[in-house]
Amino acid sequence: MNPETYLLIKLTFGVLATIGLYSVLYKETKLYRFFEHVFLGLAAGFSIVFLWRETLFPLWWEKMVGQIDEQSGALVQPAYWAYIVFLPIGLMAYTVFSKKNGWMSRVPIGVILGLWAGQQVQVWWQTYGGQIAGTMQPVIPTGLAGPAGTFQWTKPGNTGLTPEQIADFNTKIWPSQAVNNLIFVITVLAALSYFLFSFELKGKAMIGFNKLGRWLLMIGFGAIFGSTVMARFALVIDRMSFVFVEWVQSIQAVFNRGA
Amino acid sequence: MIPLAQAPPITFWGVQPGSGEMWVKIVVALVVCLLIMFGLTFLPNAGRKAVVWGFTFAGGLFYVLLWIVPTPINRGPSDLPRPGEEFGFWLQDALPHIVNSANILTAFLLGLGIYSLLRVHLGRIAKRQPDREFSAILLVCMVVMAGFGYADWIMRRFGEGREKLELMQNWTPVQYAFDLMFDGLLQQMDAAMFSMIAFFILSAAYRAFRIRSVESTVLMASALILMLSLLGALVALWNGGVDAMAVALNLPNASVDLKEAHFLNNFKLNEVANWVRSFLQVPALRALEFGVGLGALAMGLRLWLGLEKGGISA
Amino acid sequence: MTPQKSIWEKLQEIDRRILYLILAIAVTVPLWIPAKLPVIPDSTSMDLYGQLMSVPEDKTVFVQSDWTVSTRGESQGHLEALLRILMARRIKFVIYAAADPQAPQVFRNVILGLNQEREARGLPPYRQWEDYIDLGAFLNAEGTLNSIGQDVRKLFGPRRSADTEGRERPVLESPVLSRVQKIGDAGLYVVVTASATIDVAVQRISGKTKLAAMTTGVVFPSVLPFYQSGQVVGAAGGLKGVYDMEFLMANGVNVVSPTGKVEAQFPAKAELTAPPLTEIEPKTVTFARGQRYFLSFHAAIVLLIIAVVVGNIGMYKMRKNRRGA
Repeated sequence: MNPETYLLIKLTFGVLATIGLYSVLYKETKLYRFFEHVFLGLAAGFSIVFLWRETLFPLWWEKMVGQIDEQSGALVQPAYWAYIVFLPIGLMAYTVFSKKNGWMSRVPIGVILGLWAGQQVQVWWQTYGGQIAGTMQPVIPTGLAGPAGTFQWTKPGNTGLTPEQIADFNTKIWPSQAVNNLIFVITVLAALSYFLFSFELKGKAMIGFNKLGRWLLMIGFGAIFGSTVMARFALVIDRMSFVFVEWVQSIQAVFNRGA
Repeated sequence: MIPLAQAPPITFWGVQPGSGEMWVKIVVALVVCLLIMFGLTFLPNAGRKAVVWGFTFAGGLFYVLLWIVPTPINRGPSDLPRPGEEFGFWLQDALPHIVNSANILTAFLLGLGIYSLLRVHLGRIAKRQPDREFSAILLVCMVVMAGFGYADWIMRRFGEGREKLELMQNWTPVQYAFDLMFDGLLQQMDAAMFSMIAFFILSAAYRAFRIRSVESTVLMASALILMLSLLGALVALWNGGVDAMAVALNLPNASVDLKEAHFLNNFKLNEVANWVRSFLQVPALRALEFGVGLGALAMGLRLWLGLEKGGISA
Repeated sequence: MTPQKSIWEKLQEIDRRILYLILAIAVTVPLWIPAKLPVIPDSTSMDLYGQLMSVPEDKTVFVQSDWTVSTRGESQGHLEALLRILMARRIKFVIYAAADPQAPQVFRNVILGLNQEREARGLPPYRQWEDYIDLGAFLNAEGTLNSIGQDVRKLFGPRRSADTEGRERPVLESPVLSRVQKIGDAGLYVVVTASATIDVAVQRISGKTKLAAMTTGVVFPSVLPFYQSGQVVGAAGGLKGVYDMEFLMANGVNVVSPTGKVEAQFPAKAELTAPPLTEIEPKTVTFARGQRYFLSFHAAIVLLIIAVVVGNIGMYKMRKNRRGA
């Protein structure tokens, strides 16, 4: 089949499916439900293929029965026969529908949760160790005077300075930076205080700090909202581009070839 | 070039592929496991809890040991353990198998999802419930996708002239059908489903994003600054206005070169957004993630040690 | 007789489908309008571009691509920008997915498209085995990245690929991976993702190699704390990140003047001074998907802001009217 013709057929299928699913924006119709079930069916079908093709075959079956190089006949990997134990352990999950032996289904889930849980201490330190260090920011200014000896709020510009002066000024913490760092540290602490559930917060200062933390968390949520909006709009723009640009261009390509 | 690692040697645990020994060991191990499973059905309640927790603890213990016991860093293919390092080497060698075990068990559990889907929709058809035609469509699509998917995989992996299938001109109807269903339908429908959220966000923003409290005002202001800073054209307009104001006010340096520092630069939109992001949003997000991280850590330890009420071993 | 509804009350009761239609039109019409809008790239994007431009030519870049067509609007632009830079600089790369089984097919399509683009421009194509290695999918991001951090050769060892003569050989023998002994040998490790696999990468390999991220807008806020702490050396986020990268490819980060002084055209770290990509490969398409979508993006955001403002004014007016009544 001509690649351009096939591409047009493929894109047309995609456009029809997109329109079918988008029809729910108008109203939930039979058209939408049809495409919804097609989508679920195809996704489930692909999962079946994928589970064997990408996981069970290479990671379980091939490990269990080993591998020999097809061309040379040399050993690539021995057969780790003990992998067979995963079959009964995995099948235990299917006892979930049995009243008497349903508890066994917790065994494979337990192994997976155990593997997850055992990594948590290491994961926590790897994730937050660097961030704790990143939060320890200098809040006392070390640089106050510029090249002329006058008070400087921010780092002086490089114009007219010697390389030694530039290097020296670069290493100093200037008041504006110190204030910003202080805001950073206070924000982290105030927002963290919102997660103190172990004891009751007493006193105006603590309650006020906690309230500040709530407001600052809202700033974080605002950033998440703004970023999420960007993401979702990008996706709808891309869908419109798929239907109104790519599909139209594909039609044009096929017709131009015909002409 | 760094020499390749040789194939692992034949041992008691790793035998010659396709040999009689391999099949005997597989069958014996399977029978033993099935007998143990059968034995487990007679366990009293207390014993069941211990078994489930034992598996959970054993799963977690490996990674805890891997973290605690020193393991070789940047180990070369020919490096051998010095006395005392054997266990660390063993742990590192076992890691791929442990990773595999998680993948394999996850695959079996995902299979359970497929099984449940089949139960629900076959049941709906058998009981002649309303909308059963949609269940039939779902099952047909599932079977057709799985059928062509496997056929495609078998042809590409084991078929004669499989390397030719990389090129589209050599495709058979099987490859066309699978590509049409996967790339033409499934992927595009996935994208359509995801993108629909944008419509709901707009509708929700119009109807529900209200300034009613300090919190909602702060949230909206933060989101607004971020969103405005994403609009390059608006940032250029805003910053142009700030520069024009600096020139009009005859600020030091401003009339010489607008790129030079002047106080009004702080009010350029990208600068404001950058400051809000660096000194308010990032620390707030960090605290938020700290909270979540501590929760996950506590939950992990409780699950592993069997302390979680109503947990996996309850 | 019912009292006449005010315009604000009518606006409050507007059918949601009209809003949907307005959004659809607002984002579709600009797709046909070619516009190179101005932008000031984020510091995260500038650092990422600078890092990519300073990868030594003999080093291999690791690309972990964990996205599918569902987030094509952002992630495809990221991957295209990343690969365009690597291809223009003739940097070898290894690419794989660590989370989603559908991901390999999607990044293969991107590589195919970029090679077609190079062919049309008379540039040599990027070839599997010689220039890049496609490892397909590894599943279970936690386990995969753990293994990459511990012993990357053990993880990649069993994978095979056809060499330039069509012979199936272990990928570790390829020019792309033959010099990689450990993950620290990577020129840069870039995670292009639509999910939390960047968190997993930070947990498992940060500190062992330089880690960079190209994420969707949804994931981007969680990357920012990693960027601030230095666990991630550069990041492009969402559609803005795509446009940033395209803009930087055309304009560079910080321009070095003829006197050798760095003129801060865009305020980024001086050590990341990087020329525009057009200087290296004049025919490279630098403004691509991000540019095509950026005007639509402006329209959508402006529409959302108008919706919030009109919604709030409506609520305020209606409350005022009720109090007055």
